[in-house]
Amino acid sequence: MARVNNWQLGREMSYWYPEARPQKQFAAVFDTNKCIACQTCTLACKTTWTSGKGQEYMLWNNVETKPYGFYPLAWDLNLLDMLGGQSWDESGERPVYTGSTIFESAPAGERVLGWRPAEEDYAYANVGEDDCAGQVDGGTSLENSHDMAWFYYMARICNHCTYPACLASCPRGSIYKRPEDGIVLVDQGRCRGYQECVRGCPYKKVFYNAMTGTSEKCIACFPKMELGIQPQCFVNCIGKIRMAGYLSTPENAREDNPLDYLIHIKKVALPLFPQFGLEPNVYYIPPVHVPTSFTGQMFGPGVAKAIETYRSAATDADLAGLLGLFGSSERVMTRWRRIGETITGLDDDGNVLVSVPLREPVHIRQAFDPVQQVTRMNCT
Amino acid sequence: MRHLVLIKMLTAAIALFLSANCGNTVMTTPEVHAIAADRITLDPDDSVWENAPTHIAKLILQDLVEPRQMEPTTAEVRVKAITKDGQIAFRMEWSDDTLNDAPGPRKPVDAAAVQLPAVIQANAPAPQMGEQGMTVEIAYWRADWQASVNGRPDGIRALHPNASVDHHPYEAKPLENNEEARRRAELRYAPAKALGNVRSGPREVAFEDLIAEGPGTLTPAPARHTSGIGKWSDTGWAVVFVRPIPNGFSATRPTQVAFAVWEGTHGEAGSRKMRTGWINLLAK
Repeated sequence: MARVNNWQLGREMSYWYPEARPQKQFAAVFDTNKCIACQTCTLACKTTWTSGKGQEYMLWNNVETKPYGFYPLAWDLNLLDMLGGQSWDESGERPVYTGSTIFESAPAGERVLGWRPAEEDYAYANVGEDDCAGQVDGGTSLENSHDMAWFYYMARICNHCTYPACLASCPRGSIYKRPEDGIVLVDQGRCRGYQECVRGCPYKKVFYNAMTGTSEKCIACFPKMELGIQPQCFVNCIGKIRMAGYLSTPENAREDNPLDYLIHIKKVALPLFPQFGLEPNVYYIPPVHVPTSFTGQMFGPGVAKAIETYRSAATDADLAGLLGLFGSSERVMTRWRRIGETITGLDDDGNVLVSVPLREPVHIRQAFDPVQQVTRMNCT
Repeated sequence: MRHLVLIKMLTAAIALFLSANCGNTVMTTPEVHAIAADRITLDPDDSVWENAPTHIAKLILQDLVEPRQMEPTTAEVRVKAITKDGQIAFRMEWSDDTLNDAPGPRKPVDAAAVQLPAVIQANAPAPQMGEQGMTVEIAYWRADWQASVNGRPDGIRALHPNASVDHHPYEAKPLENNEEARRRAELRYAPAKALGNVRSGPREVAFEDLIAEGPGTLTPAPARHTSGIGKWSDTGWAVVFVRPIPNGFSATRPTQVAFAVWEGTHGEAGSRKMRTGWINLLAK
């Protein structure tokens, strides 16, 4: 194995191949606080890419209710259990992961520490995860089934990792990371369906298609990204929780790059299970109402600070303004700026793609309409 | 009562004698002997196999590349070979008490392969998938392809009768009478098939012809030439591979052959397999 730098871990780690970062890296920020689990993203992806034979139970994009929602079943719990202790040294300027990654924990004869979900683990996406666990008789009160007065929605796609475990797992090099944008793809002409990538991906975002005999995964809608348009699950998100773009390494972070600003400068968006060691490129603004003892394991040691920063958006015009750009344009906004009360998204050439106000104007409609001589309700 | 016990003991002794005697009639050879037969068959149950000697090939772990086969599973494969009119047929038989012919997540299928050097030469290629500049030819068979050839429909309901299928766009009403449009619509959601990946169903043959120059280099062969039939019974699999005789192979010019078996129950696929080294292949 080669030694590579994983900035999310604050240290070097072992990886199957030498470090080879793309010219630019596809990345995204998801704001978990705005997701309502409407599954519009899921359907947008499903109808676009996975409506074929053998893809019936395949969701490249899914939304699950945490803590007890999974797709596939127990995708995170199983690996967390296998990986053992996952501690961070937070005494220095940057946290350093002192546990083992899935590459460093690979058993003898294996490329990574992994496991394969069973067929039935994919069969019941979302079924029951928002329901109470038992029968509630008339007149009784509902007690929370897991004794926790919180839950949140997790939208998930492929993380297009800097160090993909799917890529490392494939013994015949059928998976590649595009040098031009860092998007990770399965070569459908070369794949032989060994399912090693399914076993290796800790996020379980590579799927075996029994009808084509190959494994398939999220392609970050690369035909759209190549045209400067965000993927289907982004532009169809009615909660406007997502923003796609390109992420620099921390030392090259630019204030005018929306993703660099949120991830490197404000540190308000965090990677999903950074301790696995893949340097995933979908970043989450953690839910503000969930105990950090839970989200800390899921998003790493920066959770408390990220929530504090997010809560300060009300008095931080730059942060609030940038969050207002989410879902405001289908175009990929690689640059942004705020001038006064106006926030603008731009492309690489400086062309204005969209401008939004810092605060939406408020229109108050009187309940009584003097023209029609009626009293209107909010829904009329 | 005493007579009954004696009769039973006598019967058992006769049965033991007969089975031992029959065991002695199975001719085994230290190499694979390809005997000239009066016909070539695709059928593992054909009587033509009765005259061919058996080579019992011990299977060993694939231990060269990760992921490796760490635990031994299938112990041995019993091999017979016959030739006729430029064709050679191999009959592989191995014990397997579980039928794995329905593919799916974490459900690898039973499979087997026959490997030959592409060119007969004194120095054989590396036995595990050949090496650069020294190509091996591999004929690969899979149980799910055999099920497909045997008539199992191509669709999730053939594997799971109660599966819920919302909608396949290519089955939409407007395409009902336009086969070409329907085919194009189906390919949009099957990129492997659109690219001509021979893994994609439905299968017309249960075999795939491949070449390799080392681990990880497996590539479809320029032409398909292997055929045969695989049959499963309570005792395991018997699979016949029929392919052209290796170029130059004769009684005075032997070559080598190697075999591999994948046991679906144990999650074997790709490099997770039991295999042999090279075994001498003699024309008789």
